[in-house]
Amino acid sequence: MPGESHSADQSPSPTQVASGYVAPETLAEALALLAAGPQRTIIAGGTDLVPAVRAGRHDPAVLVDLRRLGLNTITVEPDRVRLGAAVTFTDVLQSDALAAEYPALSQSAAEVGGPPIRNRATLGGNLVNGSPAADSAPPLLAYDASVVIAGREGEPEVPLRSFFESPGTTVLQPGEILTEVVLPRPTAPTQSAFYKLGPRLAMAIAIVSVAVRVTRDGDGEVAACRIALGAVAPTPLRAEEAEAIIASRGLTVDSIAEAAAVASQACSPIDDIRATADYRRRMVGVLVGRLLTGLSTGDDGRG
Amino acid sequence: MVDYELTINGASRTVATDPRRTLLAVLRDDLGLTGTKEGCGKGDCGSCVVVMDGLAVNSCLVYVGQADGAAITTVEGLASGDELHPLQRQFVDRWAFQCGFCTPGMLMTTYAFLGENAQPTPEEVRQAIAGNLCRCTNYRSIIEAVVAAAGERSPQ
Amino acid sequence: MTSVVGKPAARKGATEIATGKAQFTADLDFPGMLTGALLYATEAPARILRIDTAPARNLPGVFAVLTHDDIPGLNRYTYSHTEDQPLLVSELVQYPGDAIAAVAAVDEQTAQEALGAIDVVLEPIKGIFDPLEALRPEARQVWPDRPNLHEHLVIERGDIEAGFAAATVVVEGEYTTQLIEQAFLEPEGAVATIDVDGTIIVYASCQAPHRDRGQIARALGVFENQVRVITPYIGGAFGGKDEAHVQIHAALLASATGRPVKLIRSREESIRTHVKRHPIRIHYKTGAAEDGRLTAIHVAAIGDTGPYVNAGAEVMGVLAASAFGPYDVPNARIEASTVHTHNPICGAMRGFGIPQGTFACERQMDKLARELGIDPFEIRTRNGLETGATLPTGAVLREGRPMRACLEEAATLSRWHQRAEFARSPAPHLRRGWGVAANIFTVGLGRNTQDSAAVSLEMSADGTAILRTGAADMGQGAHTALAQVAAEELGIELDAVRVVAPDTDLTPDAGPSCASRATFLSGNATRRAAAAIGDSLVRAASRASGRPQDELTLRAGYVHAAGEQLVSVAEVAAVAKEANLPLHSDGFYAMEYPETLPDDAYQYAHQVFTFGTQVAQVLVDIQTGEVTVEELTVVQDAGRVINPGAAFGQLEGGAAMGIGYSLMEQLHTDAGRTINNTLESYLIPTSRDVPPMNVGLVEIPEPFAPFGAKGIGEATLTPTAPAVANAVADAVGISLDHLPLNPERVLAALAGGDPDRP
Repeated sequence: MPGESHSADQSPSPTQVASGYVAPETLAEALALLAAGPQRTIIAGGTDLVPAVRAGRHDPAVLVDLRRLGLNTITVEPDRVRLGAAVTFTDVLQSDALAAEYPALSQSAAEVGGPPIRNRATLGGNLVNGSPAADSAPPLLAYDASVVIAGREGEPEVPLRSFFESPGTTVLQPGEILTEVVLPRPTAPTQSAFYKLGPRLAMAIAIVSVAVRVTRDGDGEVAACRIALGAVAPTPLRAEEAEAIIASRGLTVDSIAEAAAVASQACSPIDDIRATADYRRRMVGVLVGRLLTGLSTGDDGRG
Repeated sequence: MVDYELTINGASRTVATDPRRTLLAVLRDDLGLTGTKEGCGKGDCGSCVVVMDGLAVNSCLVYVGQADGAAITTVEGLASGDELHPLQRQFVDRWAFQCGFCTPGMLMTTYAFLGENAQPTPEEVRQAIAGNLCRCTNYRSIIEAVVAAAGERSPQ
Repeated sequence: MTSVVGKPAARKGATEIATGKAQFTADLDFPGMLTGALLYATEAPARILRIDTAPARNLPGVFAVLTHDDIPGLNRYTYSHTEDQPLLVSELVQYPGDAIAAVAAVDEQTAQEALGAIDVVLEPIKGIFDPLEALRPEARQVWPDRPNLHEHLVIERGDIEAGFAAATVVVEGEYTTQLIEQAFLEPEGAVATIDVDGTIIVYASCQAPHRDRGQIARALGVFENQVRVITPYIGGAFGGKDEAHVQIHAALLASATGRPVKLIRSREESIRTHVKRHPIRIHYKTGAAEDGRLTAIHVAAIGDTGPYVNAGAEVMGVLAASAFGPYDVPNARIEASTVHTHNPICGAMRGFGIPQGTFACERQMDKLARELGIDPFEIRTRNGLETGATLPTGAVLREGRPMRACLEEAATLSRWHQRAEFARSPAPHLRRGWGVAANIFTVGLGRNTQDSAAVSLEMSADGTAILRTGAADMGQGAHTALAQVAAEELGIELDAVRVVAPDTDLTPDAGPSCASRATFLSGNATRRAAAAIGDSLVRAASRASGRPQDELTLRAGYVHAAGEQLVSVAEVAAVAKEANLPLHSDGFYAMEYPETLPDDAYQYAHQVFTFGTQVAQVLVDIQTGEVTVEELTVVQDAGRVINPGAAFGQLEGGAAMGIGYSLMEQLHTDAGRTINNTLESYLIPTSRDVPPMNVGLVEIPEPFAPFGAKGIGEATLTPTAPAVANAVADAVGISLDHLPLNPERVLAALAGGDPDRP
């Protein structure tokens, strides 16, 4: 289970560092290790890193394992939920608290790989890889998540919408560690949903993924809307113009159609073996329309 | 080389190795436990699944350094002596494999799964094995074998 | 009445598999064993300007670096009559799966370093990647000394001009099928060692141990009896391990180093190198009378076989010999072209050309049904082959009843005639449809081919038996089925038969495990061997009991006479042994072709056929193009089921592979190089992707078959894709003639766009 600790272990010895693999006991040690030399890389679940090293796409001198840093807890606070970066997708799926308040995140977790992958793959890893198709990115964007970065000069908490830079790159600098994902708790009635269109129904990279959220005011009118898209641009992104249409006009047949059309123009997809850019763009419109319609009618719009 | 303490199928083992070798390589090459298979080497097929501290993991994606101190169960540790685990017996009786290459991984995924869900529905089993590819069956016989093994273990 | 054949029984070796004790090739270990690796071409096509192995040979831990110069014998694979593929290329690289050098080193890392140290200079050549372009007269030639059109086969019967003239309706279509990959879960591998007497022993995950033995001997320049090929457990093959892969290279390395060598392909190497299923373009024209009866067909198929022939011409031949479907066609012209390009090499894959031809044929039948307003089942029934019908190949059908029996069973199981009870459009964006497809499948390699099998069977004085078979069991259950045949014939329990898996020193040649032939041919050979031993048992029992031999039968462990159980087979075996009666026999069977065919018949015309019918119920999302198969009905003619567990496994597994072929599988290439060389990017169905299935077996015993049983391993994926495509066409009212039916292609077709986008 998560949270195991090895109290007998000492601080990393030079031998361990020389072996190319260290599992420090504290965040300070981890940061010091990362700072102590070039080509030092963090390993959490390893589901992306291990095959990348094997394929020669990565050749780190020292791997710093985060597993003893206690970053695998989900903490519900009055105004926010804090998810340690080493929380796995299995942890996400098994959390009733997350399922209740952040159903789109739970739904996305169910679409990550298969169960053995979800037992190892971490939320932090999914984000720091900077994949435009990261399954967790659209729901986290839709929930206005931010990430906490240790070892960073200045403000450690960065909104997720400013985190991604380009395929494979984020604002995370060498020597920094993403330690937490922070989700603000809803203060008003909120509905949300996620859909992944993939080339098969499990173990697949998304062709398009979409998460939507609407929050209503005391009169039941839409007060805020979030529409986040995956696999259709160099980074996961929010379709802010489309969000504004729903936020100002509510969920009507017309506003949904317009928001869907605007969202499909907000993306800049590419052709690859899974789909063409044109198909992806059209599917953004279809899926945004469906998910918003689902929220307006009360079903989740995923069927 | 670093010494790692692992509990393999209930027995303590010390393995002196490079921490960045995979658990799969250590199991197969150092410990001679070749029941665990490599089908792709990158987590796409599930043939290498073992149970690590109660969870099914792709052993090709775990460095032995990450497994330090862990309790590992492999397909070799499933039976008690000559007595097959109910999952093994049901897989045998129900033709839940043809070539058998995916079977060790399939058994270990479902073994861990039954630890979390003792009485699964067929649909739950279908979801649980979605990370384990089988090219010979249509998964129907596997799903039925798992449900039958669950029924055998804790009859309603 | 049988007591073992047709009864449930676990797979031979099942317990060893389930406990992890079963050894597959990669699990073998020998003292001093080296790791082998192959250097594959980085560019193709290309001319080799230089190969310098010295830097690699000088690395510590490297024991051998071989190139074409180091092959003592023939530097050729020998699957086909055209032996055009070198083991290690000397001059002309034709595809990225070509090996240039082989190394043996102390471990994997050193082997990889050695590969990296070999200096190869290649000069790229312009390639040709479109088979239609390759057929143009001015096209660049893949081979300087022979044309790109390797073979143009024509099968012709009757007069198609007259047939089309007599037709009320003519439908015509252009169909394409995609390049796909077997994706067996165990990548290819071999371990070679040298015995004390110099015999080369090769353990290989393979389908054709005796053919491999011959290939290894020729490459080493030794006699076949100096090579021994043994099959460990085999992790699937589906045709992809029919041709030799790394076993010859492993033998060359062991021979060069004097040490055991293990050579296992990575998944990426596996997908990059071995033969694939042919992408085929088929033009199909069908004429029919008002009542739906076929009057003529004209089929023109162009198969892209890649640079090497391999089994390409044979695949196209089988396509041609089955493209008429399970229908009585009075006038037919079928043309099949095998074309060279620089795309991946294609050869054997489960179905061997028949899935592609069936896709076109069955789409045509649905178009005809629609055009004439006839129910899709009805038009198939009206045209169904009957016993005694002459096929376009010239062969006369010996048993035709299963064709209609499959259709009837499939209509019942799928509740075809109750489908109006379902909503056609359960949601505004969803459309439901149903499709049927029937097929004919050929068993065996065909007339005028080497198509025989031998087994060796021996009973001990305690009544147990050992069956030695050279037929590889890749998971399909052949060994279990053969053991059941032996047990039935000897009158003993299945557990009393142990099977010795292929070992060319111990087991006689059964030919390759392909063409759905293992159960039929080796089954007949086993029956013959068992009958000879049974004769000894009956003679011994007759002497012991005083009853005449013709009153005695062997069943379920006992000798019976007139319903009375006399004495156990074990006791009789002891008596027979004591009396010096033979309890060992080899059995041999060659495919029988009792009828003489007319002079103009297809020279390889098959004589044994299976039939099948599948029905798909689909939901099409007209906004995303996603196709969901809600239910698949799979009915297969088995002649006779020997083992129900194995038979259902083959039916369901074949259909699951058919679902992959229908909806998602596609190996993409860029200038001949495969792009999606992983199981993350080459997608086969997961447990979430396979629909619920209704499975039915039709049992009408086949003349000449062992207990009437025919091979069913390949046939069952054949009707899936056309059934799904027919269902999608039924759901949305447009024609879908190109595989796979991925969401984007379906959506493009719905929008009236070009559905032929690759």
